[in-house]
Amino acid sequence: MAPRNKKNLRVCRVCHHVVEGESCMTCGSTNLSEDWAGYLYIVDPKNSEIAKKMNIDMPGRYALKVR
Amino acid sequence: MTEEAVKNKIYAIKTTAKQERTVVDNIIKALEDHDEINVVAVMAPDELKGYVLVESPDPIARIEQLREMVPNARTVVKGETSFHEVEHFLEPKPVVSGIDEGTIVELIAGPFKGEKAIVKRVDTSKEEITVELYESMVPIPITVRGDNVRVIDKMAED
Repeated sequence: MAPRNKKNLRVCRVCHHVVEGESCMTCGSTNLSEDWAGYLYIVDPKNSEIAKKMNIDMPGRYALKVR
Repeated sequence: MTEEAVKNKIYAIKTTAKQERTVVDNIIKALEDHDEINVVAVMAPDELKGYVLVESPDPIARIEQLREMVPNARTVVKGETSFHEVEHFLEPKPVVSGIDEGTIVELIAGPFKGEKAIVKRVDTSKEEITVELYESMVPIPITVRGDNVRVIDKMAED
């Protein structure tokens, strides 16, 4: 099956952060997944209702769903 | 942190097909050079193909200005929507929801693409379903991902 994400970005299963290295820079977890869906970029977590709903307090790239 | 109600609006930008993530990244790049445009979040849910959603307190004209700077962003959908209407994208349902045992599905990916099959088992935690091909002589169970099928008929035909 073709990879679902072209750049093979991986997502932290704990905090849903999109990471490029081997471990999550935010929570330090190495529990990463390549199987994720939905892309979210939070610019200003303090004023974003989306960030509040997702419990995000750091700006950055996130996935909406991680398997 | 100001707790006063910030009236953020959600705008939809139409994009070239399959370029949703690129458009999100490009919007962020464009925002870096344009402080006058206030965007707090950009979202590209997989369920909403061909659109990205922008959360911003700014009027639509600003989003239009932003759209002009972003390649693959086609048009800003006229009008705005509220947070409540996009809230469901933030907590995606398991892809197997709506599929039960006996449901008739069509496989839409993999070696059996285009084949019809009947659902024998649903694994909600793994988001997998086990199906048996309709036209197969012998019943061979095949396990596929929940998003690799399309529901044709909810009820089993007796």
